[in-house]
Amino acid sequence: MSRRVLILAERSESGITDASYELIEAASRLAGGPDGVSAVLPVGDASEAEGLREVLPAGELLLVEGPAHASPTADGTAAAVLHAREASGAECVLLPHDPVGWDVAPLVAARLGTAAATAVSALSWREDGIAAKRSAFLGKFVQEVEAPGLPAVATVERGAFPAREPGPALSVRILPSPVGPGDLRSRLVEVRDAGAGGVDLTAADVVVAAGRGLGGPENLDIVRELANALGGVVGASRAVTDAGWLPHELQIGSSGATVSPKLYVACAISGAIQHLVGMRGSRFVVAINKDPDAPIFGAADVGIVGDALEVIPALTEAVRNSG
Amino acid sequence: MNAVALVKQVPDRNSAFRPAGDWIDESSLGYGINDYDRYAVEAALGLKEAGHAAETVAVTAGPADAGQVLRSCLAMGADRGVHLITDRAHLADPFFVARALANAVSGLDAGVVFAGLLAEDSGHGQVGGLVAGLLGYSFASAATGLHFRDGRLEAHRELEGGRIAVVELRLPAVVAVQTGINTPRYASLRGIMASRRKPVERIELAAPADGGGLRRLTLGRPERGASAEILPGSPQEAAAALVSRMRAGAGISFPGDAA
Repeated sequence: MSRRVLILAERSESGITDASYELIEAASRLAGGPDGVSAVLPVGDASEAEGLREVLPAGELLLVEGPAHASPTADGTAAAVLHAREASGAECVLLPHDPVGWDVAPLVAARLGTAAATAVSALSWREDGIAAKRSAFLGKFVQEVEAPGLPAVATVERGAFPAREPGPALSVRILPSPVGPGDLRSRLVEVRDAGAGGVDLTAADVVVAAGRGLGGPENLDIVRELANALGGVVGASRAVTDAGWLPHELQIGSSGATVSPKLYVACAISGAIQHLVGMRGSRFVVAINKDPDAPIFGAADVGIVGDALEVIPALTEAVRNSG
Repeated sequence: MNAVALVKQVPDRNSAFRPAGDWIDESSLGYGINDYDRYAVEAALGLKEAGHAAETVAVTAGPADAGQVLRSCLAMGADRGVHLITDRAHLADPFFVARALANAVSGLDAGVVFAGLLAEDSGHGQVGGLVAGLLGYSFASAATGLHFRDGRLEAHRELEGGRIAVVELRLPAVVAVQTGINTPRYASLRGIMASRRKPVERIELAAPADGGGLRRLTLGRPERGASAEILPGSPQEAAAALVSRMRAGAGISFPGDAA
């Protein structure tokens, strides 16, 4: 049984995003090979996409072209995806589980009269629909769901599939966009770089990350001391930056910084999937948490189950005394 | 024009959850408002206080006892509530929930509909977007900032790598908010007293038809393929054992190390 699968390809300054190559791999497995994969790329002008054909290893590349796509919007991209789905006959649409997918997937699903399977890490066909493994309860549990009826829509968790190697698309089609700029209800005004607060988390060899389990901002000093002793910098989980204990630019995770230090120390961080995505490239991961079931221990090399307020000062002391 | 907040009743996040059947054991759980949705309520209240909305309306779908989350919204300051009554099990399908919410919202003269980015339990993260899609409203997810000028809504969306997209939305719009977009207020005693007199409209939902969007199959703990080695002993003993592991595993030296 071979069914066509459509993915949304995204561009960055350096070409096609890693998330897109992961989607192509996920789609290729579902479609029984890369030939069954269609990739849609909304473009203002097809000439922008010159060269991308050579690095997009799908059966077909569909360029949905029109001024409405000169800059991306939720409804514009959703319209392009729906148009490409019809043109390709794809029975499943895969989008990244990231801020782009969060915007676009529900709009696409609503138009198809269904819900999306989101935060998905595995996919299979059902007789009439798909089944998906997904993350629930903020990463504590893995859920299997069925989306009855085709076409189906899913958002794929970052890192759940390896990135497929770049390669040429077998064919390219240019489809005039079904929407004009006047049809869109949203407009991208600008994209701003977050003001870097002087600390480059992404370049640090050692990151010591603070989590909500520390209890309050008054307990951050022990994290700073550990970071100093290790020659590293302090990062944070989303809960900590949301609570205002530390500035937002120190947030590590799918909506914050992606770090790949040699050493990552997670202090009282439970390890929601959105956080794990941001630190998964770390070479050696240490987790300190009082809950032995915390998902962070599944992503760590070594862990200590205990009260972070006791363990962190003990670790700082041990590091200082070890030189 | 009104400001609407979509809210969900979820199990208390500090509960000891146990998988049972295709979901969790719900026999002895406390329930409360989904944390993300508190930010949605605060955003709606803020819109009214800034003079951009006449009323704030909180809407939920859930069983009879989910009325408690509407009460907490009213205590925070919302003017009225709409309770779409349905079995807890029917909340499994975000499409069913979104369609019911969309029906309710369409009669509320909504200018802006706020939703939490996701629910702490099911975590589908799409009900707001589905409502927007079903109603043809504008949509922005992951909003960390809002500005209202000249009848236009500007949402700041958090992208990967900490970048921010500034998006202008035509009204009506649905905005799915990130935690941290504002500081949700706590209900004052006066707010709690006042909430008792505020109206809640109750609407019984028909059971979902066949098909629908999603069905639950199983729920379980994640596989711990490469789980951490847990170091035993007192904090001091474990910490001492950890130092050499860190040095070897990360392949680095620390500032205090002898050169």
